[in-house]
Amino acid sequence: MLGTALLAGVEHGVNRVLRLDGTALPRLAKLAGKVIEIDCQSPAIRLYLLPGAEGLQLAGQWEAPVDCRLSAPAATLLRLATTRHKTAVLHGPDVDLNGDSGVLLDLAGVLQDLELDWEYELSHWLGPVGSHLLGSHLRSRANWAGNSLDSLRQDLADYLSEESRTLVGRREAEARFAELDSLKLALDRLDARIERLTDKLKPSDNE
Amino acid sequence: MNDPRKGSDTEPTTHFGYQNVPESQKAQKVAEVFHSVAAKYDLMNDLMSGGVHRLWKRFTIELSGVRVGNRVLDIAGGTGDLTKQFARLVGPTGEVVLADINESMLKVGRDRLLDLGVAGNVKFVQADAEKLPFPDNHFDCVTIAFGLRNVTHKEDALRSMLRVLKPGGRLLVLEFSKPTNGLLSKAYDAYSFSLLPLMGKLITNDADSYRYLAESIRMHPDQETLKAMMVDAGFERVTYHNMTGGIVALHRGIKP
Repeated sequence: MLGTALLAGVEHGVNRVLRLDGTALPRLAKLAGKVIEIDCQSPAIRLYLLPGAEGLQLAGQWEAPVDCRLSAPAATLLRLATTRHKTAVLHGPDVDLNGDSGVLLDLAGVLQDLELDWEYELSHWLGPVGSHLLGSHLRSRANWAGNSLDSLRQDLADYLSEESRTLVGRREAEARFAELDSLKLALDRLDARIERLTDKLKPSDNE
Repeated sequence: MNDPRKGSDTEPTTHFGYQNVPESQKAQKVAEVFHSVAAKYDLMNDLMSGGVHRLWKRFTIELSGVRVGNRVLDIAGGTGDLTKQFARLVGPTGEVVLADINESMLKVGRDRLLDLGVAGNVKFVQADAEKLPFPDNHFDCVTIAFGLRNVTHKEDALRSMLRVLKPGGRLLVLEFSKPTNGLLSKAYDAYSFSLLPLMGKLITNDADSYRYLAESIRMHPDQETLKAMMVDAGFERVTYHNMTGGIVALHRGIKP
């Protein structure tokens, strides 16, 4: 019962969040009737996801047949949930996927594309003016933080590669890799030429 | 030897809570109880169980095995908690029938579901669980949640449910049962016979209906007895799950 209560609470929260995105529920409605089983191996937890027009239903057990079954350790499931390149993770050796993987990828796509309208939810509490002011402030702070982070990353890369010479810069590395490629091609050509000349110098069977 | 089920006028009697009443009067008396509580049924359920009834019903849905295209019968469906979930699971190609013998409860359930936008694949039928007005082998799943204890002839009702189920279909009986822990049982008794009627008095101005609820629960067969009744009726692979320490049990049987 405790597990059921916990799942009911999580489901309520997840569906509240999903409702903040205008496109999530219509996209989930297209998956209505599908059942996805997530079998986490370590720790051993089994979870069933049932998408529908009202959001996601979570269940600790499900007696009806499932459309897709994903079995993997918790770390891999977490990686799958956060990465954009899901296909690569799904092909990993510790992942076991059975059934219609399209359902799983569609569901993951919906969750990946979430654009939550927090300002709308805030407006219920603060009113339209308050939520707009707070939203604008938070957005400008987020933009400033993002720009500062990008700038810091660029400055650090420049310092390490150009000034302290601790790391090789990307362009320099690419130039070296190109030289190595040319050298490898030249060696291959030389090798082929030597092989051809050796064949020519060999006494013919007819002589 | 006198048959305890026979009254002095030879009409068989049955229990209505702790009272013995002629069988012909039980349905009428139960109907009066539900006419009285129908308007505030959901509110009282939440208050009495602290919202836990939603978890009991959730577990029932999980074990139902219902899927897209299935036909489901929700007997004594009341205000439609289970029907709402089943309607979502069976989709537009399936069908859910909400059946209740009580007109007031059926009306509350129908209005509530329509207000929630649950329509198209749901039918509402006023029906007696003992004489279900459906063809043989018709449903993939039949449920009766907190309804069986109010039925006069439980054996007849179980046989009727078996008849309308398709072979391989499942019956789920969610009902109050016997707590498995002695201490919990004592606390539960104290709660049921003092607090429940008081809550009923305060909220619906009807303490008697909630006294009947507590008494009818005590008169209902315990887990093993109900399991044996389902086996006698013809169900196979009958199992039950105790919930909240046995206060409620979910019995499941398959039609062979």
